[in-house]
Parts: sequence; structure tokens; C-alpha cells
Amino acid sequence: MSTIKLSIDGQEVEVEQGATVFQAAREAGISIPTICDHKDLSPYGACRMCVVEIEGVRGFPTSCTTPATQGMQVSTRTKRLTDLRNCTLELLFSGHPNSCFACPHREPCETHRPQATKAGRSTRCGFCANREECDLREMVLTSERQELKLPVMYSAYKLERDDPFMDRDYNLCVLCGRCWRICEKIHGEPAISIINRGKWSKISTAFDKSHLESGCNFCGACIDICPTGTLMDRYARWQGKPEHESVSACILCPNGCSVKAENKGGKLLAYTMPGFEAEDRLCALGRFGAAQIVNSTKRLTRPLVREDGDQIPMSWDDALQSVGKGLIARRGTVVVVISATTTREERFIYDRLATALQGHLIVLPFEADCETPKIKELSDSVQQGKVQALITNGPLVSPQILKNVEFSLVIDCLESMASQLATIVLPSAILSEVDGTFKTSSGKIRTLSKSSILPGGARPEWMIICLIAKVLGLNGFDFDRAETITSLIQDDPAPEKFEREPRNNCRDIPIRFRGHLVADFVPGLKAFELPTTLVDEAEDEICNGFALLEKKEIAPNMHLLIIEAPQVARFALPGQFVILMAKETSERSPFTLADWDANAGTISLIIEEVGRSSRELTSLTAGDQLAHVSGPLGLPLSIQEKGTIFLGGGCYGIGAIFPLARILHEAGNRVICMIEAASSHLLYWQQELAEVCDELLIATKDGSGGMHGGIQEGVSSVTEKEHINQCIIIGCTFMMQQVSDLTKTFDIPTLVALNPIMVDGTGMCGACRVSIANQTQFACVDGPFFDGHKVDWEELTLRRNAYAPQEIQALPQGIHLTSCLPTSTLKMGD
Amino acid sequence: MQSKTKPILEKKRTGKQRIKIPRQPMPEQDPRRRRANFEEVPKGYSEEVAILEASRCIQCKKPGCVEGCPVNIQIPEFIREIAAGKFLDAQNTLKKYTALPAVCGRVCPQEIQCESRCILGKKGEPVAIGRLERFAADYARKHNNIQKQPSCSHTGKRIAVVGAGPAGITVAGELSNRGHEVVMYEALHLAGGVLMYGIPQFRLPKEIVQYEINMLKNQGVSIHTDYVIGKSETVDQLMKQGFDAVFIGTGAGLPSFLGIEGENAIGVFSANEFLTRANLMRAVEFPRFATSPVIPHRAVTVGGGNVAMDAARTALRLGADSTIIYRRSREEMPARDEEIHHASEEGIVFHLLTNPIRIVTNERHQVTGVECLRMELGEPDTSGRRRPVPVQGSEFTIPADTVIIAIGNKPNPLIPQTTPDIQTSKWGTILTDETTMLTSKPGVFAAGDIVSGAATVISAMGQAKIAANAIHKFLIGETMGM
Ligand SMILES: Cc1cc2nc3c(=O)[nH]c(=O)nc-3n(C[C@H](O)[C@H](O)[C@H](O)COP(=O)(O)OP(=O)(O)OC[C@H]3O[C@@H](n4cnc5c(N)ncnc54)[C@H](O)[C@@H]3O)c2cc1C
Ligand code: SF4
Ligand code: SF4
Ligand code: SF4
Ligand code: FES
Repeated sequence: MSTIKLSIDGQEVEVEQGATVFQAAREAGISIPTICDHKDLSPYGACRMCVVEIEGVRGFPTSCTTPATQGMQVSTRTKRLTDLRNCTLELLFSGHPNSCFACPHREPCETHRPQATKAGRSTRCGFCANREECDLREMVLTSERQELKLPVMYSAYKLERDDPFMDRDYNLCVLCGRCWRICEKIHGEPAISIINRGKWSKISTAFDKSHLESGCNFCGACIDICPTGTLMDRYARWQGKPEHESVSACILCPNGCSVKAENKGGKLLAYTMPGFEAEDRLCALGRFGAAQIVNSTKRLTRPLVREDGDQIPMSWDDALQSVGKGLIARRGTVVVVISATTTREERFIYDRLATALQGHLIVLPFEADCETPKIKELSDSVQQGKVQALITNGPLVSPQILKNVEFSLVIDCLESMASQLATIVLPSAILSEVDGTFKTSSGKIRTLSKSSILPGGARPEWMIICLIAKVLGLNGFDFDRAETITSLIQDDPAPEKFEREPRNNCRDIPIRFRGHLVADFVPGLKAFELPTTLVDEAEDEICNGFALLEKKEIAPNMHLLIIEAPQVARFALPGQFVILMAKETSERSPFTLADWDANAGTISLIIEEVGRSSRELTSLTAGDQLAHVSGPLGLPLSIQEKGTIFLGGGCYGIGAIFPLARILHEAGNRVICMIEAASSHLLYWQQELAEVCDELLIATKDGSGGMHGGIQEGVSSVTEKEHINQCIIIGCTFMMQQVSDLTKTFDIPTLVALNPIMVDGTGMCGACRVSIANQTQFACVDGPFFDGHKVDWEELTLRRNAYAPQEIQALPQGIHLTSCLPTSTLKMGD
Repeated sequence: MQSKTKPILEKKRTGKQRIKIPRQPMPEQDPRRRRANFEEVPKGYSEEVAILEASRCIQCKKPGCVEGCPVNIQIPEFIREIAAGKFLDAQNTLKKYTALPAVCGRVCPQEIQCESRCILGKKGEPVAIGRLERFAADYARKHNNIQKQPSCSHTGKRIAVVGAGPAGITVAGELSNRGHEVVMYEALHLAGGVLMYGIPQFRLPKEIVQYEINMLKNQGVSIHTDYVIGKSETVDQLMKQGFDAVFIGTGAGLPSFLGIEGENAIGVFSANEFLTRANLMRAVEFPRFATSPVIPHRAVTVGGGNVAMDAARTALRLGADSTIIYRRSREEMPARDEEIHHASEEGIVFHLLTNPIRIVTNERHQVTGVECLRMELGEPDTSGRRRPVPVQGSEFTIPADTVIIAIGNKPNPLIPQTTPDIQTSKWGTILTDETTMLTSKPGVFAAGDIVSGAATVISAMGQAKIAANAIHKFLIGETMGM
């Protein structure tokens, strides 16, 4: 094909004919900003970020749609282009949370808050799970704009989290169209498209159906290509950016698709498509299920050996000795049963072991269950005593066989009835923990490469077999890597073809993997009606619960809950908190009382969704019952006449300062209330507060309402005009710290309401300890109010983040918030 | 492991035959297995073994064991009933003295109480009284033996019981049996006190505690959980609301810390927090239960009591290499013998005569180790115990990512703080009259750890029993002068 030459920013570039200006620039290593363009998608020209100037061409053409021509003179970085792009960016951003960029406190905030809060709704960039991978954010940060002229138009679309595996928040969408374009490219008929016009344009399925009903195959391509945090993989979303990517293969079915294994800290986050071509697509099991299987709490992690009826955890050496004894005595009566979804190397080595033990190998079709004729046959041989020892790599045979056979060795990765019945269990590696090759049903050979860390004492199967052979004194098993086995493999049949095609229809997803029901480990698969032994978590009936009388989302992510709790309402004092448990399985989480009515016996709380516990609470609807409400707790604020009192509140703190303002005002103080939010649409209760204070001030981080900035700026400006006798601040740790640092310089006594992690909230555990002037105090009984100038803020911040990884793990993976949490391996007694 | 001797039912054995029967061992879960699960360690006697063990008792005329028991259970009587196969009778006998035999049988330090006084112990091994007590209670529970309610007319008197630990449960049971209306208030979301939040599942299954709580409810006791007296009503307000008496059994729930450098680091827990997460909040079933578990890899527990054993053994079961450090020597350890024995069987490492002096942390404020000093035993102190004194220059560091402080709990200060006319000692315990458990405030009684400081289940129940008797007399007007 012929080439052409053109000049971009003075640089001579040679490209093939037919390339766009954008492609030409990319090839020359000149980056032009874009949102909608993607190397694997055809040009679209929607975002208008990639505009360029071309000599002799009027206006500013989009480089992604303009073909490069011979001799073209292109400029990509003029002042006019920068201005234009900034305008475009601002326009793109007007519907998207953006206050972080205009916020004067962004940098200190980011060092203070290293992880995103686990909120379903991203109301600012700091709360977006996609923060580290957001192209948009990247672009704004490089543009260094700190000013927003256009008003923010938050559409307040409802969160879409009723589909399996995906969370969607279209409030973050910039309509770049990448998602539906990739969907169309891969599946022909896209499940999603742009609907409506103008301000209400939105990506959606036809007729706003759920993805489940829309024909979506849950391949996850749209998630991987979306430049923003709109589309999210529910399982991986809070884990951050993968640190390591490697090409491997999924062997959950005989298709053996190529995958990109994304890992962080040795943990598999997801299998994603290795490219954005139709043949790269994965099924929902591979894309979303693999990581959940690999990281399952039901992994086998230590060797178990049966002694006097009980399985005893043992060291590998001891367990191998027992295996040796069990097999040696039964030479000639050994059968090895493995699944077709085993690597070639492992199959080879199982076969070699079977032969060396004068037994034979049975390879079962991958989805086979115990009803397969081969297994029935085996059952008879066991009955007749012809088979006395069994080796298997999954729950592939019937429980009857395992009960009848004298000696059974289960080499497997996951708990099952087989591991429970086995004489000996050896824990093995799976999927991303394995090196080797796999022959797909179409005869292609794919390579698996190990990229994640094996849990506990698990080992790869080929290695386990070599170790067993060593104990048995067998020759021909001196392998130190899977690779060294590969070349010995001579004839290996391809697995039987899988009749269904899970990549084209998620209801065709394989039911089993090595005998295990996949939906037992991937609860989201229940949505496709895959069989499972998981039972829907029968909600413990809440008796003597506390009625939720009213619930409203009064600002995005801020929920007002009015609860019937007379014993709290009758005794509550300003500044106190309650401990709530939505369900019997919930955490005990503290919430400040925003209001109460002793006569009606009700309390009001403002709850911001930031993780599982708050989500459980905000998912309740009026008429539901809360399992537990305990309080009032903590020391109330001592009410005195002090003169001018400045009350500052952010986030839930806006509600929390309300009762304080009311009583301090009644006590004869001049009360100035200041509330802050990222943007004006996130403010609430202005009217209510205005009625109980002398002056209400407002600050927003993006300047969309009131003062540009936060409480910090407010304190400074008030002190210029009048003397403040006392500051009381309630909000996030970062804000309270910043304000305290500031008021210290002004010498204004400052109280802050601290919110460390609590367990009981009654002074019994000490989880809530904070250092105040180097003295340890329990925030739940000695607080929540402390002198802001004496708090050890660094300690508090670090302690508050102590459970971040567990919080991520606690987020439910099922479709319904409440159902299908995997049960843990640790069991309480019977 | 079981004895070959066949049980001889209904047949009288001679004294000689009895003495020949060895003390029946308790079947236990293999330590190699149980270190990875939360199932109960001792499996309990079978009926045959229980009868055999019971027939070892020679039915002393003046039984020492009864005196050794803080609540003076008529031990020979219930043992005789077990020997005769009348298991439900045995339970009814026990119930006359203790509200919670299934609990006492499991957690009492029998080796220094009843069993230490058993005559057989003089020459050989004492009768396994605790195991038999547990057997009878478990048998009755499994056979769902709902006791006959002593038909008792309502007295019309109301009593508030604050705190639903063993002390509160005992008082509530006793008084409701005698026809008084009992209302219990418990701060946490489940009743049971330390039995629920502190003592782990593998030692005291929570189902047993909840079974007992349900029995109380069936008996007509109303239990308000999530109710903190002193934050909602004060004791005074309770009295004003028409309660004729108030009982305080709020326990010793205020954890002590060492006061050494680094103690607020991430990874340092009070035993209360560590155990509450695992037990009450059931973090061992995370993520089904939402409370984050502590996932220790190298856990160091500081202390030598039951609490320390429980914490160290829980850490072990959560997958850690678990170490205990204790200032004094093994002899001084206040934990039950069985617990120390079980702990070392499970592979917990003991550093005795070792005192922590600093928690070592990294730049993220996370624990990386505990710096310790070796101690040696010096001159005996006033209590006669040889005081540990530091060995100069013996500092060393034990690597750890989790440190659990189990050096004791102080009385809960809330009630004394909010009830000014209840007098307390300098340790914060409530002062009471020993014979009635009456506090300095008329109509208000107290018992358990709030009176004695952190002690034992049975001593709390013993005191509570005294209190219940006194309250009853007070309510029916026999003792007016209070
Ligand atoms: C981990 C651990 C292991 C132990 N092991 C043993 C053992 O093996 N054997 C043994 O004999 N002893 C053991 N003990 C000690 C024993 O548990 C206690 O001595 C006993 O529980 C004391 O009973 P109590 O009723 O006085 O108090 P608690 O059991 O402490 O109960 C007090 C209850 O009152 C509630 N409460 C407190 N304040 C208020 C309020 N203001 N309003 C309402 N409710 C309130 C608390 O929430 C709590 O539920 C152990 C203790 C711990 C912590
Ligand atoms: S997608 Fe997330 S990180 Fe990116 S700009 Fe939007 S809110 Fe911020
Ligand atoms: S959802 Fe993502 S990929 Fe789709 S249009 Fe919106 S921003 Fe673009
Ligand atoms: S179709 Fe799905 S399960 Fe099968 S190999 Fe591909 S991604 Fe894995
Ligand atoms: S939360 Fe347990 S002591 Fe404060």
C-alpha cells in the first residue's frame, strides 16, 4: 500500500494512505487529547477534544475523522486549540461531578484520602472508584484548569445495580459512545445505545430494560473501554488499578479463551479480553467469575489427612507420607479421575502416575456429573473391590464411590463434598495460579502463565503429582517446571466440543467446573438461572425491631432516615449519637443524631452511603424494620453562653450541627452556621438551619454556590469581621483537621466531633481510642467532642483506614444487596 | 481412649470397685484439627461414660466439694442422679443452685473450687464434677426439658435488672421464679454479657447462652437490649418509674491498656475488641457478617488469664502464629488449667517472665513487633507471690502484626457516674453489704464483676444469688430497714 507524507507540529510523518490525522499523530508519538477515540474503534468524532488546525482548512476539524493527505500541515498545540479544548472539556464536564478539579484543597485531600470511599454514587472525583483509571480526570489535571464557568447539571440518574456483575452510574457518563460502539463491534447487535436527546441523552438499553433482559452477554467489554467511572465491574471496582497484566487462558470450559489476567499485589482482579476484537470476547463466567473463583473463601489451603474419622490439617511432608502409604498398599487397584479442563501437562502427569501405579486414567468431559456411564462403571468396580484407591481433581465421582472406596485422594482447589469425604485432601492451584498449556476443543494450543499468588499451602497439580511420585520412589517424575513436561506430550486429544456457546448467550454458561457448580462460587450467576447450592440468605426475621418511618434521599448520596426509637428520643441530647444495625448480620455503626422528637418517639439521622453498612441502611424503605438502634450514646455537647459560636458542617455534618445550632441559639449565643459541599446540588437543610441560627454561610468546593472553598475559607472570612468565641466542627476528618489547624493560628477554641472506627460504642472495646494531647481517650464515651487543637490527626486518619481491604471484601457480589453473600470457610460449632 | 470398663447400671458397686474406676477422660477434638476451626474443643461425655464417672463418687456424708462450690451445689445429689441414669433429675437439682449449669460446667475453674476439695483427689484424681455438670445440662437441653414452673402467684412487685451477664441472668431467673415482674436492660444488642462477647465459641457455644436467654424470656422476663442505663434512664429515673428495686450487674467491661509507647498503633487491640469482633459480631463468618475480622499472621497476646488464653487461641484459629507473653511464671497464671493446657496443645508459644515495654511500628503506624524485657522472680511481695523484676539489658523484640492486650478489665463506670449516691471503691467497684449485696443506695443491689472487679462467672452468680434472696425479702417486706 502506498504511503503519504505530512507534517504535524513541524514533524515530518509518513503513514499509510487512508489513515486519519489522529492515527498519523499517534504513530509519530504525538499525543492529541481525545475521549471518544479508541484505537480499536472506528472514528466517531463525538467528543471534539481531538481538534487540530490544518493549513488551508477553515475551522477546527476533528483529527479522528479527517483523513491525512499528502503534504498536509497540521498543528495540534496552538493557544486557540487549548482554549477550545478547555471549553469542550468544561462542556463535557458540566453534567459530571467535577468539583474536585476546581477545589482549592484537592492536593492535601488526595494525600489524606488515598482510597476512594466505597459509595455507590460518585458525587465527586474523590469518591469515584475509577479514579486511577479515568481518562477524563487525567485530561483535566493536565489542562490545569481550576475554574468552572458553566453551571453543574447533575442529572441524578438512579444508580443501576440490579444487574449481575455490573454497577452503572450514568451521572458520570460523558457520552463518548465507546461502550455501544464496542458492543456493536463485538456482538453485531448492540445491547445499548444512546437514547433521548439534548440534556437527557443517555446510554441505555432499548426501552430501558435491565441488561439481563436486553440481550447483553455480560462480556464486560464496555466496562473495559469506558473512559470514566460510569461502568464498573462490581467485584474489581474498589481494588484500584491492576499492577500487572499478563496473557493467559481461561480453562473454565473447553473454549479455552485467551485472556488478559489483571493482578494487583498478586491477587487476580479480573480476566479481561486480550483485545477489542470480536474473537477476543469472553463469556460472563470468564470475565467476571474467574476472579471470584480464584479468590473464593472456599479455597482449600492446607493438606488434610483423615485420622479416626476426622480430617486433620497437616504439613505437606506428613500428608505426602500418608498418601504414599495409602497408594503403595493399593498398587494395581488405583484409578485416577480428572476433568477435561485440566492443563495438558497435568493430564500427562496424572496419566503417568496412573500407569506407574498399574492403574488407569479416566478423563471426564468437562461438564460431566456423577451420572456419566464411566462413573457408574467405576462405582461397580469399587463395589466389587477391584478399585481400592481413587485419585481425583474435583468432585467428579459420586459420594457413594468416595464412601465405598478404601482410599481416596482429592487434589482440588475448592471445598466440595469430595474434599469432605476424602481420605486425604491436597490443595491445588487454579486458573491464574497455573503455568501450562491447554488444548481447546477446536484444537488450538493456548498457554497459561502464572500471575497470582497461591493461597496458603496450595501447590500446582503437576508439582503435587511429582511429590507423590517421589514419596512412592517412582522414576520419571523429575520435573521442576510445567514447561519441562510440555515437550514430552505426544498425543493429546482435544476436549470434546462444548455444544453451547457461552460467549453468545450467558444462559449457555457452563454449569460446572471440575464437578463444582460454578454459581456456588460466583453468586451473580444465579441471575442466569444456573443451579447452585447457595441458599438465599433467609433474612432473620427482625422481631422487636425499630420501624423506619420515613426515608428520603435529600441530596445525592445523603439519606434522611426517620426511625421510631422512643428510648433514644426521650433522652437524646445535642451532640449524641446512636449505633445502628440494619440487620442481625450488620456491623454496629455509629451515626450522629440530626434531630429527634421525644413526644413522637422518633429520631432523624442523615446517612451518607460510604460502604456496606451505610448501604444496608440506605437500601431500607419506609415501613422496614432496623434490627437494632442503640443510644443515645456519647457525651452531649455542654451548652453555655459563650458569645459568638461558629458551627461548621460538611457531608453528614450538615445534619449533625442542626441540633447544636438550635440549642446554642436558644442559650443566647450568636450562632453562625457554615455548611460546605463539593457542589451546590449536594447541599441540604439550608432552610432548616437558617431558622435556628443567626447567620448561615455556604461554601462549595467548585464555587457553584456561596463562597468558593470550604469551612476553612469561611472561618478566615468571618474572623476578619468579628471575633469568634468558639468553633464547633463536624464533618470528614480531613476538613476537621484543616479547620483546627487554622483556628489554632487564630487562637479560637475549637471542638471537633471525632468519628473513629467503633465496635460497641459503649466504652467496652477501645477500638475507638484517639490520642488527645498524648492521652488515650475512648471517643464513644469520652467524646465525640474533643479539642481540635490537641487531636493526633495522623493517628486518627491511619486508624480509620485500618480495615480498607476488608471493607472491599464485605461488599456483596449478588444482585440483591442482601442475598448470596458467600459463606466463609470458618465455621462456628453446630 | 475410652475405658474398657462396662457401665454397671442399677447395680450397687462396692467402695473398692468404685475407687478402681479411673477418672474418665473428656473426648476432645484433635488439637491439630481444632486449631483451624471454631468448634467446641471438648465433645462431652456420652451417657455411658457419664454414668461411669458419676459412679466414682463415694457420696461423702460431709462433702468437701459442696463447700468448695461458690454456690454450694448439692454435688453428691446430682451425681447420684446421673449414676442412676436419671439425667433430667440431675439437671433439676443443678438448677436449684445455678441458673446456668451448661455454662458453669464449661467455664468454672473446678480445679480450685469443687474438685480441689473432692476426697478422691487426696489419693488419686477427683471426680470430674464440672464435666458431669455439663453433661446433665446438655442432656436436658438436647431433650428440650422445659422445667416445670414453680406455680407462684404474682407479687405485683417490679424489679429492674441492669446488665444481662451471668449476674443479671441469675437475679432475673430467681426473682421471676418467685413471682416478681422482672425487666432487664442490656446495653449491647444481644443478652449474655461476657458469655456472648468475650468467651469464644470453641469454649462456650453461643447457642447455649441464647438457649438460656430464651428460657428466661419464656419464664416471663422481659429483656430490653440496645438499652444503656445511664444514657437512657438513670437508676434514679428507673426507681421513679415505679420499680421497687434495681439490680446492677454491669460487669467489668472497661479494658485496661499497658500505657506503653505505640499502643494506639494499627494492629493493637484490647482483648475485648478482638474477642467481640470474633464472637458477638461473628466476624469469623465474614463477609456474611459485616464486621471486619482481624486477620493476624503473627499475634502476640499480653496477659496470663482466661481472657489471654481465649484471645491467643482465637488468633490461632484465624490463622496466626500465636504467642502469649506473661510477666510472671506459669504457676502465677490465673487462667484455668484446662485452658493453658489446651492452648499449649494447640501450639501456642508461651514467653513467660517477659514484659512488653514498647510496641514497634512502621511509618504507616502499623505494628511490626513487641519489644520485651526478660524478668526474673525476686523477693516475695505482700501477697506472698514472688515479684518479677526486670533483667537489665535483656531487651528483645518479638515480630508481630497483631498485639492483643489482655491484662484485665476495670468496672464499668457509667452507673456509678450517673448515680451519685452509689458509693464505689477506689478501683471503681460498687461497695455492697456482703450478706445482702445492697449498695449504699436504698433499694439498689449489685453483684458480679461490678462489685468484685473482673472475676469469674460462678462468683458473679454466687453473689447474684445472695442478692436475689435479699431482694426477694426486701420486696415482700421482710426486711424493711434497708
Ligand atoms: C474473655 C473472657 C474469658 C473469661 N473466661 C472465664 C472463665 O473461663 N471462667 C470464669 O468463671 N470466668 C471467666 N471470665 C470472667 C467472667 O466472664 C465474668 O466474671 C462474668 O461474666 C461476670 O458477670 P457479670 O454478670 O458481672 O458481668 P458481665 O458478664 O460483664 O455482664 C455485664 C453486662 O452488663 C451490660 N451493661 C454494662 N453497663 C450497662 C448499662 N449501663 N446498661 C445496661 N447494660 C449494661 C454489659 O453490656 C454486659 O452485657 C472471662 C471473662 C472474659 C472477658
Ligand atoms: S469518572 Fe470518576 S475520577 Fe473520573 S472524573 Fe468522573 S468522578 Fe472523577
Ligand atoms: S458509559 Fe462510558 S463508554 Fe459509554 S458513553 Fe458513557 S462514558 Fe462513554
Ligand atoms: S467461554 Fe467463558 S468460560 Fe469458556 S473459556 Fe471463554 S471465557 Fe472461559
Ligand atoms: S467503640 Fe468500643 S470502646 Fe468505643
